[in-house]
Amino acid sequence: MEEEYGILENTVRDFSAKFIENNALKIENEGINETLIRSLAEQGFLSMAYQQGVGKAIDMKAFALILENLAKTSPSVAVKVLLTNLFLTLATEESILNEVSSGSKSGTVVLSELLGGYSPKERLAINGNRIQGKKEFVVDSDASFIITLVDSGELVLLKSGFSKDAKHKRLGFRGLDFSTISVNSDNFDVIAKNGLVELRNAYSRMAIPIAAIAIGIAEGSISKAVEYAKVRMAFNHYLKDFQPIAFNLSSNLAELSMLKQYLSYIVGLEKNSTEALFLKTRSMEAAKEISKNALQTHGGYGYLEDFGVEKFYRDSMALSILFYNEEKEMEQLSEYVFDSKAGFV
Amino acid sequence: MDFDEMDDMKEARERARTFAEKYFTEELAESADRDEKFPMDLVEISRKEKILDFSNPWKILVSIEELCRRDPGLGISVTITAFGSENLMLFGSDYLKEHYMNSVLEGKKTMGLGVTEAGGGSDVSSVRTEAKKEGDHYVLNGGKMFISNGQIADFFVVLARTSPPPSPEKRHRGLSTFVVESSAPGFTANKLHGKLGVRATNTAELIFDNVKVPEQNLIGEEGKGFYYIMTFFNISRIYVAAQGLGIAQGALDRMMEFAKNSTNLANEGDLKEEIHFAIAEVATRIEAARNITYKAASYLFNFNPNPVVTSMAKYYAAETAVFAAKKALEITGLTGITSKLERVYRDSKILEIWEGTSEVEKLIISRMMTKNQGGN
Repeated sequence: MEEEYGILENTVRDFSAKFIENNALKIENEGINETLIRSLAEQGFLSMAYQQGVGKAIDMKAFALILENLAKTSPSVAVKVLLTNLFLTLATEESILNEVSSGSKSGTVVLSELLGGYSPKERLAINGNRIQGKKEFVVDSDASFIITLVDSGELVLLKSGFSKDAKHKRLGFRGLDFSTISVNSDNFDVIAKNGLVELRNAYSRMAIPIAAIAIGIAEGSISKAVEYAKVRMAFNHYLKDFQPIAFNLSSNLAELSMLKQYLSYIVGLEKNSTEALFLKTRSMEAAKEISKNALQTHGGYGYLEDFGVEKFYRDSMALSILFYNEEKEMEQLSEYVFDSKAGFV
Repeated sequence: MDFDEMDDMKEARERARTFAEKYFTEELAESADRDEKFPMDLVEISRKEKILDFSNPWKILVSIEELCRRDPGLGISVTITAFGSENLMLFGSDYLKEHYMNSVLEGKKTMGLGVTEAGGGSDVSSVRTEAKKEGDHYVLNGGKMFISNGQIADFFVVLARTSPPPSPEKRHRGLSTFVVESSAPGFTANKLHGKLGVRATNTAELIFDNVKVPEQNLIGEEGKGFYYIMTFFNISRIYVAAQGLGIAQGALDRMMEFAKNSTNLANEGDLKEEIHFAIAEVATRIEAARNITYKAASYLFNFNPNPVVTSMAKYYAAETAVFAAKKALEITGLTGITSKLERVYRDSKILEIWEGTSEVEKLIISRMMTKNQGGN
């Protein structure tokens, strides 16, 4: 079994080298094109949560390996794969599941209600047999299908009758659109009446995959920093010969190595929701810290997009806001630690 | 000891704040960032309104703070059109002051500083650009990297090697500074695209291909360029620290606004100490950074510069700016990441890099302190 994961990891690395590495900047500036989406689908990356003829199931270790290794070169692509599979866990209509998992259509899920600082200015409501209004904070808003909560609390799948509206500022994941959508649709399904609970459960199940993206961002950052420190000279010495740089990067790598080991350990546990939160919390911090160190190691060059480091700095912060709610998730952890509700007055 | 600001500082601060509120619109800041476009019209207005009063460095310091507080990209663009002028003020001949410096201080011309080279970074003495004396002029060959105002400056103060170093350990010798006009044949400026932040500022790579520079454009004495530039950095780093104070203060403003204008502090009766603590931490760091910066400025403006305290100010204010922007985004979450804060987060990072990285500042602090050459 371990051998299979090793093969999978090599496959993702080869895929990244072939389809992403040389196009990483283009993906950031122009978005993820259809060719890449088809290639992701052909590899099975878009059907980790649902396979035609097999149904819904997810090998969390395999999924985490894929996301981690994609995020090393393009966090945008990793997030695309994450959102697609999250969509597959929630959607129910077989034809849609088949279209999205095959890459012929795309699906995304709006997580904004679960995130910190959520303060909507728009309304999205069911009026009779129509959904009307606007929905903000849609990551991958180019998608053909969108799963979102409406104001009355239902989780709905929009199949048509929506279009992109105002674009949001994009700190990270620039390969994906991030916009408000305008909705006037009679073509939708109600997935769950108590939508927030359903959405929260689906999001919680993605704790390890999201942590894997954070780990991938950190790995991508540090590998660039280590390579740069080996060849760049300052004051007649290689950067690697300076203690602060060598020690910082080594310390970062030690932390990263432990996070990877921990991920590998907890995916094998029967129950791992608390451990998944441990991992996610620490991975988010590691991604931010390590990408910052990597940028700093590159000096002025790190500030330029051509060197491929600054995107990790942006994406690590974007990940920690768009796919992590520090306050809520720390409250969950505190409840575990104190064996009762904690972190409240 | 009096910590109150002088009246003319208060007045300059208020003027800069009013100016920024009026002209630094989010639309302009966003388009300058998106299109990587230097806001020349804005600079012209700031010159007409004399937002920077070069007769009083304290007024410049607080003006930089206030302008960067509103928007770092626009604030820095407006305040660096005279970047490097102190080299002329301190070491330039009467001719250079009259022909170059005055026009910049009067707001008629823009200048820049060409020190950093590709692969050189903070290692100033590694300069490879050469200036060879030929008759009554020098001929410059080489290039500079990450040069602010690169494409828009009328002239630059350029550091170049005029004689080989006596040994690898003494590379700082044999360097000289010149005024080089951007209209000179053989001068090229290529804009650098795709910066993480401060995208409103104009940054370029400069190339000198047999650029003739009249000998009267040599600043001060031949071979003393490194010392002149180090002296300049002891001035400019204080202004970079002021940029950091402004950026951090702006981030704190956003945090306060978020806390006051939303239900986040009182949601479901929660006290939300995380937000309170973040505000307290950022505010305390800003206060500490401001005190170090003003202390360094006080030494300098009283003609008694203290490089150790200056480096402390630059290093700490830069890190405070980055810390504040990070905290502000983390606290405000979706609200922040879809607001100007995301730009502030990107902008702030450059402060830990330019005008000497944080690492270089730390080396200066510790090396000079161990040699009893500064500090307290």
